Amino acid sequence: MSVTLPIRTSDGATSSPPKSNGPPHLSPSPSIGQKPSPRSSETSQRRSGDQIAAASKPKQRRCKSQYPRDSLERHVEFILVASFHIDRGPIMEHQYPGAISSDESMLAELMLPDQTHVRSQDWTMFFLHKDSGADGEEEEQAAKTKKKKKKRKGVETETSSGDEVASEDLDNQSEELTEEEEEEEEEQSSDEEDGGEGPPLMYVLNLVNTKQDNTVKRGAVVKAMAICTRHSFLHIYKPILLLALEDYFKSPYPETLESLYNAVNAMDLSLLPKLNLLERQILQASNSKDMFIEKFEQMISQRMAEDNELTETDEGNPSSPKKPSASPRYVLPRDTHEFESKIVYHDIPIPVKVPTVIWPEIVGDFSLIKLIQVFSAPHVSTPQPFPLHPHLTTSGAYTHPIIVLVNAMLTQKRVVFLGHNRPSGEVAEAVLAACALASGGILRGFTRHAFPYTDLTKIDDLLRVPGFIAGVTNPTFANHPEWWDLLCDLPTGRMKISSHIEPAPVTDGLLYFQQQSPVSVSGTNTDPTGDNLFMEDVLRSIANRHGENAIRAKWRAYVTKFTRVAAAFEETVYGASNIYIIGPNEELFPESPSGLQADPGDPTTLRGHGYVWPDESAKQRELMASVSRIEGWRTTRSYYSFIQDIAAMFYPARPILKPDLHHHHDRLRTLKLSPSDAGSVYLAFSHAIKDYAGICQLLTVTPESQAGLFYLAMGLLHPEQTVREATADLLERIALHPAGRHFWAQLNRFGKTAYFRIKRERDAASLNSASGSFGPPQSLVGVAMSGVQSHGS
Amino acid sequence: MGGSVSKIMGKIFGTKEMRILMLGLDAAGKTTILYKLKLTNQEVTTIPTVGFNVESVTYKNVKFNVWDVGGQDKIRPLWRHYYSGTQGLIFVVDSSDTARMEEARSELHKIINDREMKDALLLVFANKQDVPGHLSPDDVINALQLHKIKDKVWYVAPSVATEGTGIFEGLAWLSNNVKVQQPPPK
Repeated sequence: MSVTLPIRTSDGATSSPPKSNGPPHLSPSPSIGQKPSPRSSETSQRRSGDQIAAASKPKQRRCKSQYPRDSLERHVEFILVASFHIDRGPIMEHQYPGAISSDESMLAELMLPDQTHVRSQDWTMFFLHKDSGADGEEEEQAAKTKKKKKKRKGVETETSSGDEVASEDLDNQSEELTEEEEEEEEEQSSDEEDGGEGPPLMYVLNLVNTKQDNTVKRGAVVKAMAICTRHSFLHIYKPILLLALEDYFKSPYPETLESLYNAVNAMDLSLLPKLNLLERQILQASNSKDMFIEKFEQMISQRMAEDNELTETDEGNPSSPKKPSASPRYVLPRDTHEFESKIVYHDIPIPVKVPTVIWPEIVGDFSLIKLIQVFSAPHVSTPQPFPLHPHLTTSGAYTHPIIVLVNAMLTQKRVVFLGHNRPSGEVAEAVLAACALASGGILRGFTRHAFPYTDLTKIDDLLRVPGFIAGVTNPTFANHPEWWDLLCDLPTGRMKISSHIEPAPVTDGLLYFQQQSPVSVSGTNTDPTGDNLFMEDVLRSIANRHGENAIRAKWRAYVTKFTRVAAAFEETVYGASNIYIIGPNEELFPESPSGLQADPGDPTTLRGHGYVWPDESAKQRELMASVSRIEGWRTTRSYYSFIQDIAAMFYPARPILKPDLHHHHDRLRTLKLSPSDAGSVYLAFSHAIKDYAGICQLLTVTPESQAGLFYLAMGLLHPEQTVREATADLLERIALHPAGRHFWAQLNRFGKTAYFRIKRERDAASLNSASGSFGPPQSLVGVAMSGVQSHGS
Repeated sequence: MGGSVSKIMGKIFGTKEMRILMLGLDAAGKTTILYKLKLTNQEVTTIPTVGFNVESVTYKNVKFNVWDVGGQDKIRPLWRHYYSGTQGLIFVVDSSDTARMEEARSELHKIINDREMKDALLLVFANKQDVPGHLSPDDVINALQLHKIKDKVWYVAPSVATEGTGIFEGLAWLSNNVKVQQPPPK
């Protein structure tokens, strides 16, 4: 496939007198400069040929490992053992390889949860805000400054090469971009580690055993062993911790800790490829078990090449007997969503599965389904009214408890999960699930203030943390409503809003909507936020056994929607939004019609951004219903870190800044567009989306759960031939894309038939027209597009 | 929530509800007393309490919600978190542990001097009356300096928790002396 396009970008069009596109409107925080391209359109033309060629095949640059073999970071940093001393209470027995913290008694208390004496075994999790003692602190500091440097460098490349990229949308498939992408990737990963709020958390998985033993004083021995790691998938260590604690009861010496430490750190995850933000989004939203399998293949072939080099250089014997056995050692994963490895402990291989995609705020192996079911069942059978609070009860007194919980988390209320007579592992899971619910993997600032398991000994520290999320088993918490804003009782599945909760303040946004004449307050719509409908949908999915992944995807979409509605709200009330960066050529005014082409010469300069409502009154209704919780959110940690993340992570990860793909795909999905409006969307997409990263970005807004490529494929049936051709070209690029091919495969036969018909027509046409000329057949869409452009300018 | 139903029931049938907090030094016999109340006529073996136990026991139309909190030296500062809403304090002493009687006295006075405990009844179990060398209830009264206590209703009941003797007598005293039925503040 080869296309020669006389490319005229928005800036190329500056030669023509009417320069409609003013300076780009940017939201306050980030500043991404936009200067006219220094390049002439000739160069673009020259380059476009190999650009397309590159777009169709995956990049052959080196695939990086998420956990490189030569990394200095260890999987597990500390192993701890504590016990309950008959006279002294909880004490720390051993720490390996060194002392993690000077506050031993605090750790020992955390490791021995309340009521341990009534169960033989219990799991807990807790997080340490590691200031890693005396020696580690400097290291930490050094690492941080290094990261900062790297980040600054990343930003620089951004602005220097970003000019070209933004202005020459179609022309950006060159080495600079590849380099820039690499920079971005590094930046992203470093960003996620520190989350903008200090060093990464230390996650602690703890197992406690109580053994009845008549030979000791008072008849029992209680011991706990914990693994401290920076990896959020700490649950994989459960089986090995069971074995190791058993061993420790038999030989209570540091050597037992050491052998565990060595075993877990010998785990090899180096063949797990690193994915960028867009790729991770695609993988998570997909059910295909071989999505991005190419990257795993590449990791293995890179490794095999390295191995060969090693055997050749080291042994000087190319035909060493090792070689044949090397190939079966590396196997591709059965499901690319997880990576299989093993931990060998005392010659016992323990299989482990590590998730490929790691999101911020998603820690451990909780179940959203379980959390939702626990609090839905009593609500459905015997609903009880909540006392009203504008931030929480957004659908009235009978707001679904899960929505109340999410609202509480979003508006940074103090949330306590109470599980009296439940294992502490259960309350910890509920806390982690709640964090994931509110974060959706998008918003941050929850796990950092979460206490998956805590008890009365830490109450004073807990109360110093604004908006904590804590798990407890001690029912005395229920008697202290001054300690929390929302109490979630796991055994009964009921939530309680505290009588001591602070009332919601009156804000600008609230006044703005109160001043608006209440015309749009129609009694007909009982669910203006759409939350009731959403919860019904989630519960239906759970009932139909769609699985945890599907539910997580729904919540991710819910949180995404919340942020987009919040952005629209800010634009409506304040005139600009902190949480949306306006693309080039875009107008801020929400009144300016969506779908208007700002620059007649450039189909990608399609106006419009943000969330799409069917009509203005629907928008007003939803905004009005969401005022309180959005205003409540706008003062929280998660809001401020989201502003940072947009500027540092989400926005730079997007290769296509214009048009707003999400917005215009939503228009195709939710609005009944006229053929000409729809046509300009298809043309803009086909024009803007050319390369690997661009297609990735498109695929993030067309998840399988939302009909995949269906709405794009509708462009194949457009009355205008140019649109049909452009859509076919775009779909062809998607079909050749390593991730896109899965989406293509899931497209219905209807769409595929239309595609092949257009291809046949084009082949026939090109045969006729190219009969005289030599070289590659010219694409009709190219001709069509040039026609459109010359017509425009 | 669920409690409101039982409150109404309480008004109809005259059942009282009482929140009891049981404290004392470690190994005094708190958990044994709790489970003797709960599981009458059963052999009870206990191990040190990590944190707390809580059980409800109904006796003579009174529903006792008894909180038994671990007594190790280090975890005693947590006791105060259980005070609010407590209507009766059961303080358990090991009558045979004469060496730690002064420690028990000091802890007891710390508790009852707390503002949140000013309305709570005080029941002292002079426990382990079966162990040779134990103090009599009167000796315990003197050792704990209970006569110094003003503005508080108190009573000392001798008990042998492992056999269940004396425990229900103590409870009967509590139910007879609780004046107004105050639902625990929520």
